Amino acid sequence: MKNEIHLFLEDYFKATECAFLEKTEGSLSVKLTPAIDKELMNRPFYWHYAEKTGMKAEPLSVTFITDQTKIPADLEGESIHFGTPRLQQIFQSAKEHTRFIRLYEQRATGHRQPLHPWLLINVKVSYEANHKKDIFYSLGLNLINGVIQEEFMDVLNRKQLVSKIPDFSFTITPLIKPKSGVKRLQRFLTSQLEKENHQWAVKAQKEWEEDLLLLDSFYEDEEKPEAYFIEKAALEKQYSPKIDVNIINGGVIYLHS
Amino acid sequence: MDVEIYFDHSWEEELEKRIEQDGPWGSWPLFQSTINMERRMMVPDFEGLLAPSFLPELTALPHQLEAARRVVEEMNGKAILADEVGLGKTIEAGLVLKEYLIRGLVKKVLILAPASLVSQWAHELTTKFYIPAIAQKKFYAWDEHDIVISSIDTAKRSPHKEKIYEQDYDLVIIDEAHKLKNHKTKNYQFVRHLKKKFCLLLTATPIQNRLDEMFHLVSLLKPGHLGSEGQFSEQFKKGDRQVQNHHHLIKLMNKVMIRNRRQDTGVEWTARKVESVKVTFTEEERSLYQALEQLVRSQPDDVRSAFSLLTLQREACSSKEAVFFTLRNMAKKLNGNHLDFPESFQNALSHIQNITHNSKAEKALQLVQSINDKVIIFTEYRATQLYLQWFFKQNGITSVPFRGGFKRGKKDWMKQLFEKQAQVLIATEAGGEGLNLQFCHHVINFDLPWNPMRLEQRIGRVHRFGQTKDVCIYNFSIENTIEDRILQLLYEKIHLFEQAVGQLDDILERIDLPNMQEHLVDIFQHSKTEGELHVKMKNLEAAIELANEWKKEEERFSEERNSSIS
Repeated sequence: MKNEIHLFLEDYFKATECAFLEKTEGSLSVKLTPAIDKELMNRPFYWHYAEKTGMKAEPLSVTFITDQTKIPADLEGESIHFGTPRLQQIFQSAKEHTRFIRLYEQRATGHRQPLHPWLLINVKVSYEANHKKDIFYSLGLNLINGVIQEEFMDVLNRKQLVSKIPDFSFTITPLIKPKSGVKRLQRFLTSQLEKENHQWAVKAQKEWEEDLLLLDSFYEDEEKPEAYFIEKAALEKQYSPKIDVNIINGGVIYLHS
Repeated sequence: MDVEIYFDHSWEEELEKRIEQDGPWGSWPLFQSTINMERRMMVPDFEGLLAPSFLPELTALPHQLEAARRVVEEMNGKAILADEVGLGKTIEAGLVLKEYLIRGLVKKVLILAPASLVSQWAHELTTKFYIPAIAQKKFYAWDEHDIVISSIDTAKRSPHKEKIYEQDYDLVIIDEAHKLKNHKTKNYQFVRHLKKKFCLLLTATPIQNRLDEMFHLVSLLKPGHLGSEGQFSEQFKKGDRQVQNHHHLIKLMNKVMIRNRRQDTGVEWTARKVESVKVTFTEEERSLYQALEQLVRSQPDDVRSAFSLLTLQREACSSKEAVFFTLRNMAKKLNGNHLDFPESFQNALSHIQNITHNSKAEKALQLVQSINDKVIIFTEYRATQLYLQWFFKQNGITSVPFRGGFKRGKKDWMKQLFEKQAQVLIATEAGGEGLNLQFCHHVINFDLPWNPMRLEQRIGRVHRFGQTKDVCIYNFSIENTIEDRILQLLYEKIHLFEQAVGQLDDILERIDLPNMQEHLVDIFQHSKTEGELHVKMKNLEAAIELANEWKKEEERFSEERNSSIS
């Protein structure tokens, strides 16, 4: 079984049209395209030089090892796993390439079919104080009737989706503009978040107050020096609870009703 | 409870643009794959450690993982990591840092370490933890890079200091933090004024026995945890040196400090084999040793107090070069900067000239030849270090020197030379910290420090994680000298060497002689004569024996109580 990183890298290099030179269960060798070489290999001078002199630039070939136990003994390459900067870099690049998407559902039917527009957003919600936790939301909004669908990715994963509009299909123009659709979903998310009691924030608040009391008692007899205010600001930074909402990616999806 | 919610609106703006210009749109399989990765990298819970699954090549030990977990979960990222030497405090700090980076709670980090350890920190963080840490070299490093390692001596100086004060650090890590114990120093004030959300202080020196130092260190981390200075004295100090409310204090300390001992780690340790090597003075050496006493006696009273006979005699047990060096410094002090030695020095000087052999050096040579493997020799004195290097060269043994004062690059270079080419490394005391020499397992203590913690640090260079062989320690001492008596008391009477590593400070703590350290300073630094030293040692010895008896009795008592319950 190939591991999740291996599968991710395969998808990445396929989507970015890099040619596979060799694949094993635990490694991938690819010939990069000029665009991906520029993105990943960090050699701007080379590319600058090649472009200035008209020299034919040669993108690099790289080998990534995703599982040391499943490769031939003499294979050399860059080991890659969660936590390596290389994976972070490719992941960031993949996110850049997939922040926006537009897809159409394909169904094997012989007659004309209308496709309804949906807005998809995948969201990372972070509860953050002195500790942190992320929650994933995938929300869909029907841009005709305003219906909201939760766990929308799960729905989409089961469908056959393509990037070009299929024959015999036509799209219905949205009644809700995508941008105001995002606003609606944000309002929905806000109301969901406000329903929770957020014990974590209560706890952080309490610890913050305790530490503030300690700090005050430390400087009880003095005119408060600069260090007091530095420490006080640091406590706020450490403990003040907040919720960050970030849209990871999303787009417009046209689905059969 | 209402919590502020922050939306990032950049996505929806961009979406509109993409719709207008019809793309570009991402690929669906990569989109799905990216979301899977994103979910995989999210922080699923407020608690627990994610770092280990991100570091499959790092084998962290259970006590290190537990330490990291406690720092993050229970201590809110403010902790003193005080494991015994060689248990991997750096690994614990690395785990905490990695955890916070993964969780996105930390971005901007400052690591302050002794100059000699800066490159080692950078190396460990980048290779073991995949953390892009930069050893500060350029002035602009402070705002240019997120994770910077520097020596405190550089950091506290202008213009660096001002630049650092501008930074808002999420985490500050300070290695060898016991150097911050004095709150009046520039170092302490500097650290106190850093903006820091989380903070780790690393130290191998137990701080429990020094109340004031403990107070100031904790106050750096979490001001008020031990109250204000006034409240602290009132609650915990009894007179000048005693502690009261001991248990309450320990409870408070346990909230901010983690201290693993070797025996708690559950890891099999290679053994320590300790051998005392007694060396006999030649007649000439013996007469120098005795002449030093006359020299000090012959000084007028006001001058005599500046002389430490003990120091001179301990030097005489090391090398005549060490004695000469000190005598020359004394002469300089007495005569201004004249290089002439006073008349009263001549006798001792002629004794120095008469010495043709160094008995210890010869013994060391024999030993090194018979070991026929890498050996580290520790000496307290620079002059002895230089002499030994010369002496070994004369006898066809390759050696490299090591001192605390060496620049980073030179230290790395010396370590490498020792590993690859030389048979012997000759180190002075200051060379000890942070030097990892697991590839070597023979240590010669050419002379003995009076402070047992320093000895522990010496041995800790080789007897640490990664050492696969038993470690042989040879303690040299000259018969019938002050050195002999130091060895007898500290290292034989208290059985310090036979104990598993690190139990030393355990003993010092449990003996419950507060300020053991101070007693030792008093005995070895302030005793004017061997006689005084002898008496003080006897007293300490008696106190330790008594404490040990109490301890045993206490244990017996608790055992009886346990058995009667069952």
